[in-house]
Amino acid sequence: MFLAFRPWKKEGKLNYMDAVRPKESLKSSPSYARGKSRYIFANRFRALFAYLVLLFFVAFAVGPVLYLISPALRDSISLFDYPPKIIPDEPTLDNFRFLFDSTRYLSWALNTIIYAAGTTIISLFTNVLAGYAFARLQFPGRNLLFFLVLSTLMVPVAAVLAPTYLMVREIGELPIIGRPFFGLDTYLGLILPCTVSPLGVFMMRQFISTLPVGLYEAARLDGASEWRILFKIVLPLIKPALVVLGIFVFMITWANFLWPLVAASGDDYRVLTVGIASLKGQFVTHWGVLAAASLMTLIPVTIVFLFFQKWFVQASMAGALKQ
Amino acid sequence: MSKSPDYFNSGVPTGQEAWAKLELSSQEYRKNASRYRLRYLTRASGFLAPYMILWLAFLAIPVGWAIFLSFNDGGVLDPRYWVGFDNWARTFDDSELTQVVINTSLFVVLAITIVFGLAIFLASLINNHRRGENFFKVTLYFPLLAPPILGAMIWHFMLHFDFGIVNLITRGLFGWEGVNFLGKNPTALFAIIAVEIWRGLGFWVLFYLAGLQSVPGELLEAAKLDGARGLRRFIRISVPVLRPLFLFALVIAIIMNFQLFDSVKILTDGGPRMGTATIVWFIYRRMFAFQDTGLAFSASVGLLIGTMLLTLLCFWLLGRGRKRES
Repeated sequence: MFLAFRPWKKEGKLNYMDAVRPKESLKSSPSYARGKSRYIFANRFRALFAYLVLLFFVAFAVGPVLYLISPALRDSISLFDYPPKIIPDEPTLDNFRFLFDSTRYLSWALNTIIYAAGTTIISLFTNVLAGYAFARLQFPGRNLLFFLVLSTLMVPVAAVLAPTYLMVREIGELPIIGRPFFGLDTYLGLILPCTVSPLGVFMMRQFISTLPVGLYEAARLDGASEWRILFKIVLPLIKPALVVLGIFVFMITWANFLWPLVAASGDDYRVLTVGIASLKGQFVTHWGVLAAASLMTLIPVTIVFLFFQKWFVQASMAGALKQ
Repeated sequence: MSKSPDYFNSGVPTGQEAWAKLELSSQEYRKNASRYRLRYLTRASGFLAPYMILWLAFLAIPVGWAIFLSFNDGGVLDPRYWVGFDNWARTFDDSELTQVVINTSLFVVLAITIVFGLAIFLASLINNHRRGENFFKVTLYFPLLAPPILGAMIWHFMLHFDFGIVNLITRGLFGWEGVNFLGKNPTALFAIIAVEIWRGLGFWVLFYLAGLQSVPGELLEAAKLDGARGLRRFIRISVPVLRPLFLFALVIAIIMNFQLFDSVKILTDGGPRMGTATIVWFIYRRMFAFQDTGLAFSASVGLLIGTMLLTLLCFWLLGRGRKRES
């Protein structure tokens, strides 16, 4: 890995080190050779140290997940054997079978997909519209409104958990828009409160306002309506930003635990995070099943991640850096 | 340069003449202006309505309602009634809440210090040794795929008294009898910090790596030629460039970490004798287990105000840093 690091071998290219490069006549002296070997040694040593540290942290990051494989493949009682065995004598798939037969794992997974995908689609839609309005439309009170929206950016979600819960419950009691469409233990009641983060609006506004103004003016002169401009001109141009924001929202939503725990505690609307947490009983815990469920949940995400890693990394950075 | 059109000789009326020719009285003019304003507003409202309705219903009104309900009691199962500053008096008097705030602050300070220290260190290692950069990025980012509650589950397997790998290793190698990490008081908090470090490290490494790679190369080379080495170059060149990024990261990290709930709920559920109870855990318990909504709401508003104040403090520091540079 670091064997190929030979900066003095670089030929042809003139770089700033040439200014301090020793003369040819000096290169034959023994002190030069000593210095060179010291330089090589110091660099190799430093690289070795760096890669050892990095590999340690790679093990720290990946190891815990790999350690799940062992308990997932044996029955929960053998976990407590003494002396402990990491590699199971007779690996079984009983834990996975239990997960599919005796718990509602598949329905939790389906609910999670509905929840996360619904949140992503709805928030992309509303954020693009609002971002476009704030970036390109003139209307009285625009700056004031944008300031108000932006000032809620720093509101911690957990601080409005309780009133949002009450809000959803109260709206659920209303005659027409309430149950069965909206309220506690409905999909919309689960999804809509998660779509309000001002971050997306802010990001979309930033992206749209970086597009050249001439595009809009040309389209407007040609008689295109605002909606047509948005869908025919702006949307194709901000597609990458949409993908980034979409992945970001999806990742945050499917990992959410607190809101689904509160808003959809019923068995029919339980999502994966709440479901897996409910597997960990107060007194007796099926450790093997728990490990199997965690692995089952992580594997598809990991596969998707390995295919689209660049987008994932960009998405999580976008949330942080686009401010 | 194109020639500007000659307005004065083009026959188009200008100046006073134009106003005179404009056959609108001031009243008519005002009416037209307001009509245009209304038209702009209706056009924009089609775009704004979907978001603003949701924002009002699930963000703006809940914030106001939380503040209002913090002066009331009841309201979830039984009807609410006004109690004035009673809740707030209890908020500042409640020993449990004091404990919870201390725990959370301790967690925030420790977790952010460790994660940021490690992240900056690892990011500069990756930045200096480019080989395998992508491999390290991907593997360090990997834990972020796990939702916090899965992270907590995974670490429960690591730290379990009987079959946790940490205890297995210490037992096997040193013959210790093992540590019950989640059952004792300081170690339970450390376990929670470990989970959060595990999940957060990759993100912050990527964050600082992006920052370090945005440090202009000419600056670093100039410093190199001037004889500045390793650490000195890092402190004198990279740190000032990273400074605004760092303060911004601090804001996000504070907001995120003060909301710690998931791993506490899974790993310890408040921990041995409230040792790992956090603010959000407290709010959750008061609201949904004890039905003590008054205290839940005043604690929520307290969390809101506290986070806002810390954020403003960070932005103030950020602004001050910028002013000094110019």
